[in-house]
Amino acid sequence: MTISSSVPGLPTPPPPVLTGITVQHVARSFGGVHAVRDISFTAHPGKVTALVGPNGSGKTTLILMLATLLAPDSGTITVNGIDPVTHPRAVRAVMGWMPDALGVWSALTVRRTLLTAAKLYQLPTATIPQRVDEVLNSVGLTALAEQPTHVLSRGQKQKLSLARALIHHPAVLLLDEPASGLDPEARIELRQMVRSLAAQGTTILISSHVLSELDEMADDAVFINEGVSASAEAVIAATSSAREWRIGALQPQALHTALTEFGIPYTLDPVTGAASVLIANETAAAELLGRLITHGVTIHSYQQAVGRLEHTFLDLKRGTAQ
Amino acid sequence: MKTIIEIELRQRIRGIGWWVMLGIWTLGIALITLFTLIILGTTDSGDSSAWLYSTIVLFSLLMATLVIPALSGGSINGDRQEGTLATTQVTLVSTGQIVLGKFLAAWLCSLAFVATATPFLVIAALREGINPVVVIVSLAVLIAEMGIISGIGVGMSGLMPRQLFSVVSTYLMVALLTIGTPIIFALLVGTTVTHKETTVRSYSLDDYGSSCDEVTIEDRSYARSDRYWWILAANPFVVLADATPATFNDGYVEGLLGGLKLAVRQAQIPPEMPDTINYCEENDYSDGGDDENTVNTTVPSWFVGLGLHVLIAGAFLAGAVRKTRTPARTLPRGQRIA
Repeated sequence: MTISSSVPGLPTPPPPVLTGITVQHVARSFGGVHAVRDISFTAHPGKVTALVGPNGSGKTTLILMLATLLAPDSGTITVNGIDPVTHPRAVRAVMGWMPDALGVWSALTVRRTLLTAAKLYQLPTATIPQRVDEVLNSVGLTALAEQPTHVLSRGQKQKLSLARALIHHPAVLLLDEPASGLDPEARIELRQMVRSLAAQGTTILISSHVLSELDEMADDAVFINEGVSASAEAVIAATSSAREWRIGALQPQALHTALTEFGIPYTLDPVTGAASVLIANETAAAELLGRLITHGVTIHSYQQAVGRLEHTFLDLKRGTAQ
Repeated sequence: MKTIIEIELRQRIRGIGWWVMLGIWTLGIALITLFTLIILGTTDSGDSSAWLYSTIVLFSLLMATLVIPALSGGSINGDRQEGTLATTQVTLVSTGQIVLGKFLAAWLCSLAFVATATPFLVIAALREGINPVVVIVSLAVLIAEMGIISGIGVGMSGLMPRQLFSVVSTYLMVALLTIGTPIIFALLVGTTVTHKETTVRSYSLDDYGSSCDEVTIEDRSYARSDRYWWILAANPFVVLADATPATFNDGYVEGLLGGLKLAVRQAQIPPEMPDTINYCEENDYSDGGDDENTVNTTVPSWFVGLGLHVLIAGAFLAGAVRKTRTPARTLPRGQRIA
C-alpha cells in the first residue's frame, strides 16, 4: 500500500509557509482534569523557544497537541501555517518530535531503528543509508550503531530519540525534556546542535525544567503555569522586576561596610561571605558596581543570583500565587 | 505498511515467548500424532480411515485458538506501553496502515505454526491416502481461521487500554465461538422441545400370547435441533469440518472431520414426528450407512460461518483503527497517548 500525497475527498493541505508555530487560546482536558486551559504563543523560525513551567503544568500535553497526537478541545494551532487537526499528515512531514517517554524497538539495532524511521517518513530509498549515517554522527551514536537498542543507557536512548526526530530534516522541532539523562558533555553537544539547527532556520520548541540550561539556549520563552501561558505584559513585568544580585569581595568586611554606608539592605552568605542585594534593573546594578569600586572594595564576582528564565518563572509564579 | 510488518516480525521473532509457543505447538502436534497412531494401531481400523489426518488438522485449529490470542492480543496497546506507538504515529504511516500491518504480521507469524504442523499433516495424508483437495481445503480454512483469530486479537489490542484485558478478551471472544456456540445450541435445543400426542400400538401380553392390540395415546417430546443448527455454523471447528469435502467408506463418513460434518448436517434434519407409532411392524435396517445421503441432502453452512468470522474480525480491526486514530479527541480513562 502506498500513500498518495493528496487523499481524494479531503481538501489539499495549504502549501507550507515557514511561519513556525502559532498557538491561540488552546485548551485540552482529560475527563475532569484541565491539563491545558488557555495557552497562546508564537515560536518563530530560526529561533529556539523555551517552554517553561513546573511539572504538571501542561507542557507535555501542549507538545502532544503540536505533534498531531492529541486534538485540542478549543483554540487553534498552526505549524508552518498548517492545522495539525485537519492536516496531520502534512504537519508530520515537516515536524520532528522527541518524546519525553523513552520508547525504542528493543529488538532492533540503533542503525536499524533509524533506517526504519526513515522508511516510515518515506525518505527516498537511495538517500536513507547516508542520512542515517549523518544523524548517527551528529548525535554521537556512530560507535553504537550496530548495538541493539535495549543495551543503550538512558542518555544514549535520548540521543537515539533525538536522531529519530531529526531523520527527515524537520522544519519544526519539538523537544520534550531532551536533556534529561544526558551527561554534562552531551548537554553541551545538545546545546550546540540545537543552536546550529536554529541557525539553519529550524523552529525549535524545547521544554525543560532545568532553567539554567534553557537560559543558554533559548531566544524566547513561553511560561506556563497550571495550563495557562503568561501574557506578554506579565512576562515583561516579571523580567523587569527587581532581581537578586550576588556580590563577592576579596575583603568581605569592606564590602559590608560600604553597603551599610550606602544604606543598601543585604543578606550575608555565611560560608563565602558574599552579599546578596536586591537591585531594580541592570542600570542600577552597573551604578552600584561603580560606586563599590570607587569606594575601594575589591570585587571578584558580581552576578545575578538566578538565571533570566528562572527569575521570570519564579516571579510569575509568585504573581499567580498572590 | 511493509515497514510496519517488518518491525513487527523482527520484534516478535527476537522475543522468547514466540519460540516457546512454537515449541509447545510442535510438541503438542507430535504427541497427538503419536497417540492417534497408537490408538489406530490397537483398534485395527485400517490405514484408509482419515482419522490421523483429520485429528491433526482439528488439533492444529485447537492449538491456534490457544496460542494466537496470546501472540496478537497485545500488539497495539503493548506498543503504547513501550512508547513506540506514538513515535510511529507521528510519521507518515496512517493508523489504518499500522493496524493492518500489525494484523498481517500476526497472521504471518501464525503461518509458522502451520509450517511446523505441515510435516505431520503430509505424513498423515500420505499414510491414509487423503485426497489432495481435502488437504488443500482444510489447510486453507485453517489458515483463514488463524487470520480471523489474529484479527480479533489485534483489534482487541487497539480497543482496550491494557494488554492483559485485551488478551483475555480475545480468549473470551474465541471461546464464545468455539465453546459458547455448542453450549448455546444445547441449551436452546434442550429447553424448547416440541410436544406431540402420538398413538402408539404395541404388543400386549395376555394369556393367549402376544397380540398387537395395545393402543395408547402418549405425549411424545422431540428435540428440535433443526431449528437451532445454524448456531453451530458459527463454530470455527464446524466451519473447518463443513468446508472440507467428506469421504465415505461403504456409505459411512470417514475421520473426525467427516464425523463432525455429519453431526452438524444431521442436526438440520427435523425429527420424524409420526401420528402413529407401530412397534408391531419390523423396521427395515439397510446394510450400508446412509451418511453420504445425509450429507448430500442437507445444506452446507461453512461459508456463512466463515463470512460471520470475517465480519467479526473486520469489525474489531475497524474499531481499533477508530480508537487509535490521531489526533485523538477522546482517550479512555487512564490512557496516555505517549
